[in-house]
Amino acid sequence: MKLLLWLNFQGANVLPAVRIQNEDFSVDAELLALRASSKRIGGIATFIGCARDFSEGRSVSEISFEAYGSMALAEMQKLRNEAVEKFGLLDARLVHRVTTVVAGDNIVFIAAGAEHRAAAFDACRWLIDELKQRVPIWKKEVTPSGDTWVTQHP
Amino acid sequence: MRATRRKTGWQERYLGALGMIQILFFGPVAEQVGVRELTLDFYSGLRLQDVIEQLEQRYADVLSWVSFIAVNNEQVRDKNMLLNAGDEIAFMAKFSGG
Repeated sequence: MKLLLWLNFQGANVLPAVRIQNEDFSVDAELLALRASSKRIGGIATFIGCARDFSEGRSVSEISFEAYGSMALAEMQKLRNEAVEKFGLLDARLVHRVTTVVAGDNIVFIAAGAEHRAAAFDACRWLIDELKQRVPIWKKEVTPSGDTWVTQHP
Repeated sequence: MRATRRKTGWQERYLGALGMIQILFFGPVAEQVGVRELTLDFYSGLRLQDVIEQLEQRYADVLSWVSFIAVNNEQVRDKNMLLNAGDEIAFMAKFSGG
């Protein structure tokens, strides 16, 4: 019961729709918050980016993220506003972790809520593609042969 | 406008720089230059290109990793942009979030 109250409280009232944070995010809490924003939502598309243990032919033991926090948050807020306008979304949420993660850990969460599925799918894809191009966040992969900054957008 | 320029010149001559600008480096660029932030003197008429030239003198190849420059959180492409005292300028490698 306490957990449900917490989720409801967090989801409906407290968690901002766009965030950069160290800690993991709760997909349930994000979806609760999205659903609470409008009863006209008929489709929600989500994307969760998570850490892999293999990249560019090498094992990856951990990935550390660094951000230009103020600009990254501002860009993510712009992305959300642009997506709402461009795809006619009813709501969208973007959360990016900036910390050190290991394989299987969550990195980024995106959700797009629209009246119908096509806009939700298109917006979700657009948001993650644009985030990779426009948001000043960098990842460094720790591998057995040393640390490497990633500068590509696969 | 002319009066403002005369006043600025007097201040520069007798009081030195008119303020500071803050330079930020992140990720691969910070690793390349070995620092994360520094401050430079601001003077009237200072342009982004002047800052770049100062940095290149101090850190060879500083721009080799830089793909984006932002002034006060906004990406800037015009290197002739006039700067203001207190501006925050970030030199950034290609992004790799997500």
